[in-house]
Amino acid sequence: MEKVCENWPEKAFISGLVDAKYWTDFEANATAAAAQVYKVADYAAGEAKLKEVLKEYAPKEIIAVGGDENPALKGIYSRLSEDGTKVYTEKFDIAEHAPSADVGISTAEFGVGESGSLVVDNYSYEARVTSMLPFVNVVFVNANYMVENITSACQIIGKVFQKGYCGFVTGPSRTADIERVLSLGVHGPNKLIIIAVENEGGAK
Amino acid sequence: MARDLKKEIKSKLQDNIMQDALSRFADQYPGSRLKSYAGQDIEELRENLRCMKADAVEHIEELADKFEANVKARGGEVFRAKDGDEVKKFLIKICKENGVKRVVKSKSMASEEIHLNECFTENDIRVKETDLGEWMIAIAGQKPSHMVMPAIHLNRYQCAEMFEKELNEEVPGEDIPYMIQKARQTLRQEFLQADMGITGANFGIAENGAIGLVTNEGNARLVTTLPRIHVVLIGYEKLIPKTEDAAKILRLLPRNGTCQKMTSYMTMVDGPTPVMYKKDGKWVEENRKQYVILLDNGRLEAAHDPVMKQVYQCVRCASCLNVCPIWTLVGGHVYGHIYSGGIGAILTGLLNGIENFSQFSDLCIGCRTCTTVCPGKIPIPDLIDELRNRYVKKHGTPTMDKSFFDNVLNDRGLFHKLLLKAGSVGQAPFKSGKFIRHLPLFFAGMTKGRSLPTIAERSIRDRMPALEKKNPSNAKKKVAFFSGCNTDFVFADTGENVVKVLQSLGMEVVYPMAQSCCGKPILGVGDRETGKKAAMRNIEALESVKPDVIVTSCPTCAETLSETYEKLFADDPVWGPRAKAFCAKVREFSSFVAEEYKAQGKLLPAAGGEKVTFHDSCHMKRGLGIYEEPRALIDATPGVELVEMKNCDKCCGMAGSFGMKYSEVSIPMLEEKVQNIKNTGATTCVVACPSCMMQIGGGLDNQNTGIKVKHIADLLAEKL
Ligand code: SF4
Ligand code: SF4
Repeated sequence: MEKVCENWPEKAFISGLVDAKYWTDFEANATAAAAQVYKVADYAAGEAKLKEVLKEYAPKEIIAVGGDENPALKGIYSRLSEDGTKVYTEKFDIAEHAPSADVGISTAEFGVGESGSLVVDNYSYEARVTSMLPFVNVVFVNANYMVENITSACQIIGKVFQKGYCGFVTGPSRTADIERVLSLGVHGPNKLIIIAVENEGGAK
Repeated sequence: MARDLKKEIKSKLQDNIMQDALSRFADQYPGSRLKSYAGQDIEELRENLRCMKADAVEHIEELADKFEANVKARGGEVFRAKDGDEVKKFLIKICKENGVKRVVKSKSMASEEIHLNECFTENDIRVKETDLGEWMIAIAGQKPSHMVMPAIHLNRYQCAEMFEKELNEEVPGEDIPYMIQKARQTLRQEFLQADMGITGANFGIAENGAIGLVTNEGNARLVTTLPRIHVVLIGYEKLIPKTEDAAKILRLLPRNGTCQKMTSYMTMVDGPTPVMYKKDGKWVEENRKQYVILLDNGRLEAAHDPVMKQVYQCVRCASCLNVCPIWTLVGGHVYGHIYSGGIGAILTGLLNGIENFSQFSDLCIGCRTCTTVCPGKIPIPDLIDELRNRYVKKHGTPTMDKSFFDNVLNDRGLFHKLLLKAGSVGQAPFKSGKFIRHLPLFFAGMTKGRSLPTIAERSIRDRMPALEKKNPSNAKKKVAFFSGCNTDFVFADTGENVVKVLQSLGMEVVYPMAQSCCGKPILGVGDRETGKKAAMRNIEALESVKPDVIVTSCPTCAETLSETYEKLFADDPVWGPRAKAFCAKVREFSSFVAEEYKAQGKLLPAAGGEKVTFHDSCHMKRGLGIYEEPRALIDATPGVELVEMKNCDKCCGMAGSFGMKYSEVSIPMLEEKVQNIKNTGATTCVVACPSCMMQIGGGLDNQNTGIKVKHIADLLAEKL
């Protein structure tokens, strides 16, 4: 999958700005923005959590990105299809099934404490449709990759953003255009589920 | 075509649905905004944004060149458009070249500004707005009434009607979630089938050619993802140097705009990005085409204007509308063009021509509330004043205004007699005159909702010779008293009390008879030259008695005397220094008295009693920054107890001539004020401004509340 930066931790992160201590802020603010947030010890626990939350939606079709870069995710995606659920991970398959898929699984590079935002590298078309078209978007992120505020986030992005598509995702799609009543899922996902993995090495 | 603004306002005030929505919103917004800033240093964030944007406009050509070069280096095409017509021609050309049949748009003020959609319909290209509010508004053929919440003037049933019109099926108005899902399904098809997506931009980054989009619905992400062509319409004012500068906008825009720490989506697109589509039944991937249109339409001229360049600090958050006492009453539509509120009047003047500005400029009463929240710290009322000045320079002062003002200025005694006569026959000789900003009311046809004060039989200038005889012998300071018109002619009793309070503090009070109107009324309509005449006359008159301090009990006069005079003569080698020295001596009554009380050990809380409440004048609180001192004085007054009212610093609706010219707007503002006063249970409303005193006093009396209005000088003098 094409990305703005192949390796964010190595090439983009600025030392001193990224710290697990901003997790608490992130969790509180993301939750306030109507995201569902789960912190898990490792990918094995992440997989269990994923399966648990998916139960509610009983998806027939899932589109998923990030497996090529992350063997742990790749494993999870392949096991998801064991029960007969269609899981598409190849880019043209994703494009084909994006309009009908029930769930999209994607990844984020880091989180922002101040606002509960996920910083997403969406250079590729498949990453964008995966996170936007299905009704549910599950995002994996490293729980240790957190920055304090939007200023730090933009500094980090500025270091590597030379071309492509990236930004923040903060909670699900929303509108208040009718009587200022908050309504979710107007164009993008109705649910944003964040699974933050504490020990990424653990299951790799 | 000239519009009947008053008629439009009236119909908006009778639109109960809109009134209900706006008043609820105006109530909730300030608190929600502050909550989103919890733990942040708002002033520091605002200053950072202001600095960054103010610096950007200084280098606007350089930024534009860099931005353009960087977009091109990444494979995008850049087109610099002088105006809307050029944009439309260019767009139709690329639509034809690329066989575009369907277009989706995510919200863009710039495209509204140039009425972009017209050119598509004329060329048989299907165009759909995808922001839910904009989509509904477009179906109804209406214009957005707010920059951030385009459909705030509608209720759910009216929205349902739009849905029914578009979908040809019944849509229940009670069920908002159902409507949202209907919109999702309908617009999803538009996204998937569109050939071209058009977006605006919240910022454009020079160092890499990226644009940033801030949305909640996510429509901008779909518009920039699904169609194979992406067009960006971006105004020069959106350019910023670096990616990290975006943070300076992003930390304020969502908080001020929608009271969120961050919107759901903040998307940055840099150059043409990959897109997939089916070609002959097979999926292909390629880079989408990207066209970036840099729109001028008056912006570059503004960038080089020493005053107006400040509009570049605007990030279109609309918070200036949300707190504006006029906007929250009349809504956005009466401002006529796309941009509404005070900033809208300015942008309209710059982008659509100053002729369009003049009529909407009336709708800013200079209360300065917006300046306390604007993320870019734009002095909106000052820019409006500046545009008014220019308008008058070009078109001249309306003769009515000028001749009446000359009358006021030159012969105060005669003027007083005229007023008395007018008052006594109950007939206003200057009825149609609109010259009156900050002058007594009786000229205008006064309407219901407000009682009129009577003209004082004896003006303060008639009373002063006797009062001056009571000056203390070993005076601490020599105070020149500047009364201002209202105190001179209407509230002469208050004027007398001002003198008594000052004398009780050991001051010698003198009243230079040659003083005149401070000049604000004529400056307010934009006539600087006549304003200067008033200033020179007053400077000479007050200088002649060699005072230590110049005191006035009218905050508007205080602001004019202590700030405007200096600015008026900034480039004048003779009058410049003279004005500066003069300005330094001017003091607003309550802050001066509080200071002297303190020095004399009298500014101590006294035993309470009767409940009084205090109303902050706009000019005093936000113009002069004085609001603690009058409260301290009330606390120090025995037998009264201060109870704060809700929205104590919200404009009472007088605001110079506005209260008369637009009484249909002024009266509801007054009624709200009166209600807030009543709710406190106070028996007296204390003010520190004669204009507010006239307005509030009139409202309290008209409603037979039995609540009195007193100037702070009256309150203090009673207990001497
Ligand atoms: S100064 Fe007052 S009336 Fe004028 S735009 Fe600002 S808030 Fe509105
Ligand atoms: S003038 Fe200030 S408050 Fe008004 S929209 Fe612009 S940035 Fe926001």
